[in-house]
Amino acid sequence: MEVLREKVEEEEEAEREEAAERAEWARTEKMMRPVEVRKEETTLTQEMLRDLEKKLSEIQIPISAELPAFTKDTIDISKLPVSYKTNTPKEEHLLQVADNFSRQYSHLCPDRVPLFLHPLNECEVPKFVSTTLRPTLMPYPELYNWDSCAQFVSDFLTMVPLPDPLKPTVQKEEKVLPKKYTVRPPRDLCSRFEQEQEVKKQQEIRAQEKKQLREEEERLMEAEKAKPDALHGLRVHSWVLVLSGKREVPENFFIDAFTGHSYSTQDERFLGIESLWNHKNYWINMQDCWNCCKDLIFDLGDPVRWEYMLLGTDKSQLSLTEEDDSGINDEDDVENLGKEDEDKSFDMPHSWVEQIEISPEAFETRCPNGKKVIQYKRAKLEKWAPYLNSNGLVSRLTTYKDLECTNILEIKEWYQNREDMLELKHINKTTDLKIDYFKPGHPHALRVHSYKSMQPEMDRVIEFYETARVDGLIKREETASTMTEYYQGRPDFLSYRHANFRPRVKKLALSSAESNPRPIVKITEQFFRNPEKPAEEDVAERVFLLAEERIQLRYHCRDDHITASKREFLRRTEVDSKGNRIIMTPDMCISFEVEPMEHTKKLLYQYEAMMHLKREEKLSRHQVWESELEVLEILKLREEEEAAHTLTISIYDTKRNEKSKEYREAMERVMHEEHLRQVETQLDYLAPFLAQLPPGEKLTRWQAVRLKDECLSDFKQRLINKANLIQARFEKETQELQKKQQWYQENQVTLTPEDEDLYLSYCSQAMFRIRILEQRLNRHKELAPLKYLALEEKLYKDPRLGELQKIFA
Amino acid sequence: MNRLCDSMEPRVMDDDMLKLAVGEQGPQEEAGQLAKQEGILFKDVLSLQLDFRNILRIDNLWQFENLRKLQLDNNIIEKIEGLENLTHLVWLDLSFNNIETIEGLDTLVNLEDLSLFNNRISKIDSLDALVKLQVLSLGNNQIDNMMNIVYLRRFKCLRTLSLSGNPISEAEDYKMFICAYLPDLVYLDFRRIDDHTKELAEAKHQYSIDELKHQENLMQVRLQDERARQEELEKHKTAFVEHLNGSFLFDSMYAEDSEGNKLSYLPGVSELLEAYKDKFVIICVNIFEYGLKQQEKRKIELDTFSECVHEAIQENQEQGKRKIAQFEEKHLSSLSAIREESELPNIEKMILECSADVSELFNELMMLEMQLVEQLEETINMFERNIVDMVGLFIENVQSLMAQCRDLENHHHEKLLEISISTLEKIVKGDLDEDLPDDLRALFVDKDTIVNAVGASHDIHLLKIDNREDELVTRINSWCTRLVDKIHKDEIMRNRKRVKEINQYIDHMQSELDNLEYSDILD
Repeated sequence: MEVLREKVEEEEEAEREEAAERAEWARTEKMMRPVEVRKEETTLTQEMLRDLEKKLSEIQIPISAELPAFTKDTIDISKLPVSYKTNTPKEEHLLQVADNFSRQYSHLCPDRVPLFLHPLNECEVPKFVSTTLRPTLMPYPELYNWDSCAQFVSDFLTMVPLPDPLKPTVQKEEKVLPKKYTVRPPRDLCSRFEQEQEVKKQQEIRAQEKKQLREEEERLMEAEKAKPDALHGLRVHSWVLVLSGKREVPENFFIDAFTGHSYSTQDERFLGIESLWNHKNYWINMQDCWNCCKDLIFDLGDPVRWEYMLLGTDKSQLSLTEEDDSGINDEDDVENLGKEDEDKSFDMPHSWVEQIEISPEAFETRCPNGKKVIQYKRAKLEKWAPYLNSNGLVSRLTTYKDLECTNILEIKEWYQNREDMLELKHINKTTDLKIDYFKPGHPHALRVHSYKSMQPEMDRVIEFYETARVDGLIKREETASTMTEYYQGRPDFLSYRHANFRPRVKKLALSSAESNPRPIVKITEQFFRNPEKPAEEDVAERVFLLAEERIQLRYHCRDDHITASKREFLRRTEVDSKGNRIIMTPDMCISFEVEPMEHTKKLLYQYEAMMHLKREEKLSRHQVWESELEVLEILKLREEEEAAHTLTISIYDTKRNEKSKEYREAMERVMHEEHLRQVETQLDYLAPFLAQLPPGEKLTRWQAVRLKDECLSDFKQRLINKANLIQARFEKETQELQKKQQWYQENQVTLTPEDEDLYLSYCSQAMFRIRILEQRLNRHKELAPLKYLALEEKLYKDPRLGELQKIFA
Repeated sequence: MNRLCDSMEPRVMDDDMLKLAVGEQGPQEEAGQLAKQEGILFKDVLSLQLDFRNILRIDNLWQFENLRKLQLDNNIIEKIEGLENLTHLVWLDLSFNNIETIEGLDTLVNLEDLSLFNNRISKIDSLDALVKLQVLSLGNNQIDNMMNIVYLRRFKCLRTLSLSGNPISEAEDYKMFICAYLPDLVYLDFRRIDDHTKELAEAKHQYSIDELKHQENLMQVRLQDERARQEELEKHKTAFVEHLNGSFLFDSMYAEDSEGNKLSYLPGVSELLEAYKDKFVIICVNIFEYGLKQQEKRKIELDTFSECVHEAIQENQEQGKRKIAQFEEKHLSSLSAIREESELPNIEKMILECSADVSELFNELMMLEMQLVEQLEETINMFERNIVDMVGLFIENVQSLMAQCRDLENHHHEKLLEISISTLEKIVKGDLDEDLPDDLRALFVDKDTIVNAVGASHDIHLLKIDNREDELVTRINSWCTRLVDKIHKDEIMRNRKRVKEINQYIDHMQSELDNLEYSDILD
């Protein structure tokens, strides 16, 4: 499929324009924008984009005049480039050509609607529609193919109906669209009588249902019919046509810009085409649209069917079919019809539109402000950009019972980037059942959680990703008095555990709920077949009837048997007549064995089995109790997660990931500092002296020595200069202070207190300065020899003065 | 050793001693009371400890069939014996005894841990059957030859070995040698062998070990070849055409035929023999290939049959299981209803209903079984017909091929006779050019002698062919009969088992009901 990579660009523009044009869209009567399947992907997409732009711009014209309410302030016209505000001579020429063309057209076809040729753009300048298209290639892979690109554009666009009812509104077509109540396909009838009867019965029922549905539909339709389709066939709309040929597009199809869906050219909801254009040319449909678009032939090279406006633009590219030749031939004839004054080789001027640029943020945001609401019949779909909502909500589908959308049926909310891996929340308002779906990765390996209330010990089903759990739990179902768990892949082959509870005995308020687990009446456990054990020793099911102190075992059935062994233990501890405790009696174990075995008859065996089961019972009770605790924990965690709803940020997301950003910045800072330091250390003392020598030559020893001496003496001079400078300043300060002191002593009597204060402050400052200068001088004197030595050392090591080293080596 | 014990009387392992030991080492406390009450059968004992008992001779252990662990340490046993029946033994402790040779362990194939510490053993052998051996303790013995180590290479699972206290452990190379020759060993003399030592040892003994390995590999390859050949032969045997894919039969015809061999020196006979052999072998190979093909066909037939039978049985079992499951569900609910019912007449009525249900179930299950029996009978008969036909066809074809062999032999016989007589004539006339071996010349005395000799050779040949043919026919027929018999028998067994199972189940159900009745009446 062809891709509209560049769409994005358009979008931005579209955005701008949209704001401006918000009031109206479609002034075009069933206009088609021909999207050529161009040489490269880029072109295609661009064209589409342009088409969009065109639409937008076109729309403006009529509106601007008619709609004072239409606010332009959303667009800062002053910042737009000149091409938006003026027309180049070539564009002017084109507009003349278009006018001429339009005149001829209205003369020849007076019945048809005036052409949509040069709407005003946002700066109130007429622009030819084709020049509003600018093919651009965008860097997003999603925009490379038409479907995702169309989706993106449709997300971006917001439908605003035309306020002028005289001008056909776009909306109408959409209304025709939904046909929910399609009849279910009738079943194949089998020849058998009974089946026939059955089918008949079903059909009757179905007929009734259908009838009901139809009635309902009619009722619904009535509600909608308040606005009857009086304007049917008069409404206008702009959409995209993709021609087959390039980029493996097998056949022509339409794309509706608002929905991003593709439609066959046979679709009867497209009633006809008035004209189409791309960034190269403009065509008028000369074919009859009595049968919608079904009979249209999209061979743009055929001038009988498609009247073109400009000659010479590569129509061969437009008609990708083999009829190219004929198209070209016919062209002359058409031209003779009345466009003699047209320059044959007139090219479409370059687009005046700026290249669309879509920042990654804008691309991710998709819709204006990152939010879009689509209203369907009895449903509302809201979309948000990722990270826009702090709880990660990206879309919400609300379905309603009634047309007015007041009575909510159910709500589905999709989330993204949640730390708790929540993916979808499904709320059924009628049953009040909430179902949360999770992606793999929740700390408790949750998969699905359906519940009515977050209170424990209520109806609830929790499904898990069993491979992520140590105990292989798949599902845990809870009701007020039972808990059922399903397992898989456990080393002990447990597959199912079911616990029945009795209502909690009301104790005095001494113990809290946690330490007062509900008494368990019965635990049923089922096991898969353990292939390593013989079937008659492999327990299939064991039931602990805790209240009756009874344990029932059912074993697996051997492959060649149809009955399974059973065993039942009664755990009554009894006391015999002498008061001794009876350890084990034969009637404490009732067993049915498919193949009676000797050793199982022994009391010892039975006693050991019973002891083992007692231990197991304790374990199972503990397990049940732990499961209950886990549910509590999960519920608590879920509540916390719901409250916190933290979002995860990919480490590759450089914009959002604060941590990595900080780290990166720190790294950059360190790098910068490192760089500065290096520059400093690399300060080249020799450079000014080397510059005097011819470059590229190796220094002779003599030169090296001289160079070194020069450098050192220069440095020495500089040190001396610096010392002198500090000395001079020091002396100056001292002199000034002395002068001031003299002056003070002379005028001490006449001085006002203010002057005296002034003098005193001056003195202290001067003394400070002098002291500092003195310090600096002393320090300089101390450091100067060291610095000198350091430089000397450095020069010795300088590779450029390698000769020196040789001497000393 | 055991000097202390020497002063005491040797004791005999008699029933009392064993019973006492079993009782002492059996379950304790409550379970022990039960055990005492019931008595413990020796064959249920899994572990037995008989140490410090001055036992001289191992005896009376044959009843402990399921014994896993046996401790006979610190006795004065001199000979390993009487352990043949303890095939499940995993752990055997014979340390601190007076054993001199390792023996009597050939049936203990499951043994993993063997301790012969502190005995008088001087040679490691007779352990071949212990393929699962993991731990071997032979410390404080009198093993003095390093080559005993090489013997241990065959135990692929051996991880722990102790040999300290033997003369060989004095050798300076002792540790290195063992590490090198037993690279899979992890613990030697209760110490872990570190990787460094292993590397060193390997480097040190590399040459000899490589040679050893090479020999072992050769042996391995030879064994494998042998096994492959054996398998091939086995395959041919199941097709009843073994040794027919070459000149084996022909050679065997001449193997016992001294006259024939002598006669082959006659002029012209060797060419004749050559041609004869070629033709004969071709026919043999034909038989062989045909046999293999038929075998394949029979196998497919048999597989299809057993698969179908299996499916049918499976299907039937599923139905039975479903029936039982349905019944049990209903039965359980009615039982609990009975328990809750308090009116006696009602109870009786319900119990009657229940027993009616049980007999209904019985009828249903039996009907299912009868159905299956009929179905299977039909199928089995069909299969029997087919397989018998196949075998008959096979025999017929083989016989016709064998007849060809016989024709060839007859033909050859005539030719040979002709040549012999003409040679005789030549000899009689005295114009024979070639020299004949003396023993052959001895045959050409008169016509009768030579004709007899040729005839005898011919008879032997025919006999061989007939024998081979008979063998083939007999074996395939007996195979066929056995197969059919087995199928019938299996089916009968299956049927009986099923009927027994059903009856048992029904009886159980019924008795449960009866119990209920009684207890109700008692109540």
